[in-house]
Amino acid sequence: MNPPNARSRPIIEVNNVRKEYPVGDETVVALKGISLEVMRGEICCIFGTSGSGKSTLLNQLAGMEKPTRGEVRIGGVPISRLNERQLAGFRQRHLGFVFQSYNLLPNLTATENVAMPLLFRGVPKAQREAAARKLLCRVGLSHRLDHFPRQMSGGQQQRAGIARAFIARPDVVFADEPTGNLDSKTTLEIMDMICSFARDFHQTIILVTHDPEMAAYAHRIVTLIDGEIVRNQVNHKENARHGTSPFPQSSVPSAPPGLADGGPARRAGGGER
Amino acid sequence: MQKKDLLRICLQNLMRRRSRTFLTVLGVLIGCCSIVIMVSLGIGMKESQDKLLAEMGDLTIITVSAPQRGKGKVKLDEPLVKRLRNLEGVVGVSPKQSLEVDSIRILAGASKRYIAEWSSVVGMDTGEIGRLGYQIVAGAPAKGDGQVVAGEFLAYSFKDTLRPEGRNMIDRWTGEIDSSGRPVDLPPPYLDPMKSPLVLEVTTQAGTFSFPITVSGVVKEDYSKGYETSEGLIMSLSDLRKLLDKVQGAAKKKLPYDSVLVKVASIDRVADVEQQIKTMGYATESMESIRKPMEKEARQKQMMLGGLGAISLFVAALGITNTMIMSISERTREIGIMKALGCYVTDVRVMFLAEAGAIGLIGGVIGCVVSSVASVVINLVSIGLSPENLPAALLGGEGVNRVSVIPPWLLLFAILFSVLIGLGSGYYPANKAVGIPALEAIKSE
Repeated sequence: MNPPNARSRPIIEVNNVRKEYPVGDETVVALKGISLEVMRGEICCIFGTSGSGKSTLLNQLAGMEKPTRGEVRIGGVPISRLNERQLAGFRQRHLGFVFQSYNLLPNLTATENVAMPLLFRGVPKAQREAAARKLLCRVGLSHRLDHFPRQMSGGQQQRAGIARAFIARPDVVFADEPTGNLDSKTTLEIMDMICSFARDFHQTIILVTHDPEMAAYAHRIVTLIDGEIVRNQVNHKENARHGTSPFPQSSVPSAPPGLADGGPARRAGGGER
Repeated sequence: MQKKDLLRICLQNLMRRRSRTFLTVLGVLIGCCSIVIMVSLGIGMKESQDKLLAEMGDLTIITVSAPQRGKGKVKLDEPLVKRLRNLEGVVGVSPKQSLEVDSIRILAGASKRYIAEWSSVVGMDTGEIGRLGYQIVAGAPAKGDGQVVAGEFLAYSFKDTLRPEGRNMIDRWTGEIDSSGRPVDLPPPYLDPMKSPLVLEVTTQAGTFSFPITVSGVVKEDYSKGYETSEGLIMSLSDLRKLLDKVQGAAKKKLPYDSVLVKVASIDRVADVEQQIKTMGYATESMESIRKPMEKEARQKQMMLGGLGAISLFVAALGITNTMIMSISERTREIGIMKALGCYVTDVRVMFLAEAGAIGLIGGVIGCVVSSVASVVINLVSIGLSPENLPAALLGGEGVNRVSVIPPWLLLFAILFSVLIGLGSGYYPANKAVGIPALEAIKSE
């Protein structure tokens, strides 16, 4: 999975991906030939309004759906061509998910929920739950270890969700509107948490959002409109904030002013909130 | 996923919807109970039928006789005995010939004080007696040379000539009689035939002849085998032949055997052996002709009862399917999440099959316990409600007719069947669960 020159080689390669959906007699084209590369350790934001195709793109990237045409490779593995069993194994080892609606299993405690990806891998109970507790403490839920999701606030649930996404040390974590259901203060906490995890473990984050404030956390912002990438730029504000960039500065086209401030993007995504 | 974890998750899910699980298990339980009870009634019926038949006679004995009382072409002779012995499934063969004379008396004691009259005496191949199913209760089989085997109650057929008529015999029926109609606590007889020398006195037209005999053993009474097992004597064929030679006097003639007894290894071979003997041209008689239709009827009833039970288990299977489908539609999102997090499809399938199978297993096990208790209660009611009848109701025994009999294989079968029903009815829902895409996890509510 880890190529020797991880820094220079993209971990995610999207090659001319097209996705069509049959709707009645017609065919709706959700993605019109998307090509994209994401570097290891990068926080990449897929930004767009509802109906822009950003969720569809996420589904292709995470192997939830198969593209009509084109190919998605993660770490060189063509996941759009894996069968269901290979895909499950690939998800266990290399992918993590943070969902908008947290998606913790209601009948499991926080610890059990966080330990779940390890459970699917066949890690013994004591071992996986120790790891889960450790991670829950790190996200500040040491007092909620044995609570059920319904006993926790949205922010707490999402922190557990983040712990679950990172517990198996995946290479790529997909976050689909991770703060969509949270207030602005919690949103900041959650985003800081995701970014700090990504930094610490040198993980790649694919962040899907319509919220320009969140897009500001990304190293790179890919803007989608009507199934096409209209902008793919490095976020200088973010880079300035963290002082580092995971990829060589020269390889990235310079961003037009305005987006980093959230100006046009806010207008574009304003309708969804 | 580890098996332990799969099992834990499956139980957790069952416990989540306690009342629904309980009701579904209850359905299986009732189905399992009805099968077990119905089949146990059938088995009980068959068991008492077999007991009834066994009381009527030994089920594996075929009595072979010659047509036209042996005056025709086919005869009951030594070559026939040899042929019968070679038939497959035959374990013992003995000709049987009774001593038919004007009078037979057995004398015993000093100056012939004790006399038994009208005794029946038969000649048999005494070496075969054990193999034919005669039970020697004391001593050993006769070996010829005046040795005989006595019927179990020969001692009670002696009368004491020194006592007045009417009070000169010991009646073994005076004491209490047990449930199977046999006397208990027999009074002591006048003499022990095995310990006192006896004299057989035979009277024919040619005169009266006496033969000294010794009783080497005593056989258990068995009405199906003839009166001689009760109060008569069995002697070897050669002894009987010698005796006949003497008493027939001038009218010496070789008598054919009355009949030939054939003992077959097991009940299910009786019909076959009997058919073979019939094709040789002999008349046969066995309990088979009664047993066959009875068994057929019993089997039909058993099938009918079992079928009724199976219907209720089938209904329970629909219940399991329904429960599983409901729980899957409730858990669609969960399954999507699990798949998104990397749960193998096979694990999802096993998870749901295990749930359905567990419902079947729990229902089956509890059903077996309940039906075992019900069976004992039914038996207790039929035998009589008292604590001392409990062992009889549980285990049956001699002379106890249980209404409901549950052999271990029935319980095992019922549990296995319930589990299979569970797995079978979980198959469709499990496939449904497998088909749920990981995408379900991402869909917003």
